[in-house]
Amino acid sequence: MKQFSLAPIRTYFFSWCILLALLLLTLGSAFIYLGWLNTAINLTISVTQAAIVLLFSMHLRSAHPTLRIAATIGFFGIAILIALSLSDVLTR
Amino acid sequence: MASTVASIAPQFDDAAQQRDASNLGIWIFLATEVLFFGVLFAAYTITRTQHPAAFAAGSRLTDLTLATINTALLLTSSLTMALGVHAAQSGARRAIVGWLSLTVALGILFLAIKGLEYHADYVEHLVPALNFSYPGAQASPVELFFYLYFVITGIHALHVFIGVVVISVIAYMASKNTFGPEYFTPVDLTGLYWHLVDIIWIFVYPLLYLVSRS
Repeated sequence: MKQFSLAPIRTYFFSWCILLALLLLTLGSAFIYLGWLNTAINLTISVTQAAIVLLFSMHLRSAHPTLRIAATIGFFGIAILIALSLSDVLTR
Repeated sequence: MASTVASIAPQFDDAAQQRDASNLGIWIFLATEVLFFGVLFAAYTITRTQHPAAFAAGSRLTDLTLATINTALLLTSSLTMALGVHAAQSGARRAIVGWLSLTVALGILFLAIKGLEYHADYVEHLVPALNFSYPGAQASPVELFFYLYFVITGIHALHVFIGVVVISVIAYMASKNTFGPEYFTPVDLTGLYWHLVDIIWIFVYPLLYLVSRS
């Protein structure tokens, strides 16, 4: 019988600290005028935060490949949806 | 304790296989949730591309302080949820109830602050179709921003509410010694749902509240 892997408790505290630090970073960056880079930085930080939650809190780091594929389907779907929609809107 | 031993459904060989099947099921559900919110994010992206100035103006009218506190609360509730799942996996039965109750409390606090925010929006005449008023030529696209703001945060808040109810039920079941290292699937799956609601907010926060703050 395949045992589940029990992550050490400090992993959760460590990722929580990083998530809060990234929240302060994204908040702080919003007050510095950087033009379109503001949104790019905010979204890069959001993607990083989401990756931390997915990998550590949601255990995808140690998950079966089937689960990882299932987990990426939704995000892949959004990427296609937004990219194709924009390709229409931006080229009119 | 007999009550903690997992009952294995006849179609599964063992508890591990049953657990894998449940996990795959919840991940497929979560993927559909991502797509569900994805449509809203796509609508946001297109509308913002067409009215960048109105989205900047609209975003500046949202309450950044309350939203930042709420983001920190939700990130923290994700930690307490993860610790609840960890407690279930390691058989710390009393700790499960404690961590889950804390998660529920943080979720309720999030909703209360959201309520304060909505109230302030109402007072400031920012609710589309109800009492929206904005001076200047940008009124119509700014109203579009607030329409998206209320739909996205409203549906997210509904998810938080459902999470609070489900986690409360799971906490009650945990208080009856239902979960342990042999059987913790309901705690685990509820945790995955709660983390996804957290991830969605991680994107909602900069897109609605952080546009053009400088």
